[in-house]
Amino acid sequence: MSTRRFEGKQVAITGAANGIGRATALRFAAEGAGLALFDIEAEPLATTASECRTMGVDVAAIPADLTQRAAVERVFAGIRTPDILFNNVGQSAREKSRLFHESDPDTWRFVLDVSLTTTMLVSRQVVPGMRERRAGRIINMSTESAFYGDVGMVDYAAAKMGVIGFTRSLARELAGFGVNVNVVAPAGIRTRAHDRLPRAMIDMVLNSVPMGFLAEPEDVAGVVAFLASDDARYITGQTLLIDGGRWMI
Amino acid sequence: MRLAGRRILVTGGASGIGRAIGARFMAEGARVALLDKAPIEGDGVAIRCDLADTAAIAPSVVQAVAALGGLDGVVHSAGVDLLRPLAEMTQAEWARVIAVNLTAPMLVSQAALPALTEAGGGTIVAIASGAALRPLPERTAYCAAKAGLVMFCKSLSIELAPRNIRVNAICPGIIDTPMWRASWEGAADPQAELAMILDRYVIKRVGRAEEIADAALFLSCGESSYVTGAALAVDGGRTFH
Repeated sequence: MSTRRFEGKQVAITGAANGIGRATALRFAAEGAGLALFDIEAEPLATTASECRTMGVDVAAIPADLTQRAAVERVFAGIRTPDILFNNVGQSAREKSRLFHESDPDTWRFVLDVSLTTTMLVSRQVVPGMRERRAGRIINMSTESAFYGDVGMVDYAAAKMGVIGFTRSLARELAGFGVNVNVVAPAGIRTRAHDRLPRAMIDMVLNSVPMGFLAEPEDVAGVVAFLASDDARYITGQTLLIDGGRWMI
Repeated sequence: MRLAGRRILVTGGASGIGRAIGARFMAEGARVALLDKAPIEGDGVAIRCDLADTAAIAPSVVQAVAALGGLDGVVHSAGVDLLRPLAEMTQAEWARVIAVNLTAPMLVSQAALPALTEAGGGTIVAIASGAALRPLPERTAYCAAKAGLVMFCKSLSIELAPRNIRVNAICPGIIDTPMWRASWEGAADPQAELAMILDRYVIKRVGRAEEIADAALFLSCGESSYVTGAALAVDGGRTFH
């Protein structure tokens, strides 16, 4: 990557230790951005931060449980308002996933906390500074499940559609302040979560992807970088699917 | 240089969005052929072609491919607007809007397909419109053509994915082009018309052709490597697509 569009910019990324968060951190580092990286998993976060530092940029690696309001307020009080925020953190209940009639409300709360509330809590810390500066970019993470549902994952789909509603409302609130807010919705990306799926399910997904292959986290990082760049200055409130053509909505 | 060595054909390249795309792509290292019925100034291979003239399209594309020595991408930017109540619209007016906005992208894509295939893959980007996602009054032909163009791209993206060709659409909002100015300057109260248009957008300004060129660059380069069949709204927050 020869372009360095983010020299002098500060980028905050949540869920930055692995997968898409890690790939995006590396992408921004390669393009010259200073980074504040957050994750609950301290060790892989430190590894990602070290990889980013080899590209000559300043990186703060901040382990934190961002579902906790007090933790979010504490860690964001310690950094300057970023120019760009990538709200990447989120997950489904994975092995605790159940059909709705068998599901546990405590599991919903966990999924809603980590996949929706965290995005709002972190944004709450960053938005006042962006408004004051009259500039900023927020990119939120959703998923295909938000649009098409996912059997056994009603909580995740609800949380991720919530992210889209949050994004659209925030985009309207912030448009007059030079702050753009958009969503990326990946599908069929090779991450740790995907690698845990049964082979038959991966084959089923592959059969439904016109491009015929699963993407790498770097394929999402490129889109996030675009939405964070000046090239996307007239784009706000939008949801961009990164899915090899699976849904085309 | 995100398009270094790429050979790209841009229709409607003489003015507005198409011209901005040509300039941006060349600045990013692409070799560009510009198709337009109007005189084309500046750099790039210039080919005069009226895209409403269906018989002229394939030879013009062949000419462009020959001049570029192959083809890695196409941008369908040529378009015509028509503000006309249904009761007053003639069949010829309807046919012209459909021809330029929908039939021409089909014919250009068809003519470009052998070269794109020979190149081992590529990108097709169509400049559709926010009117493809949310309707506008008294623009039935325009809305129908642009919505058709979006679905053309989606269908084609499935067909061409095995050839490593990605197909996407951009849906611009109001962009400051001669076509857009003509849409309100002729109104009885142009300033009121302009204010009404801007009121639909959360970013309270008209977009620039260069901002659409930026999106076309994104969809034509490796940054969007897993994006196909998308309709990307670049509209200052109107459609919330």
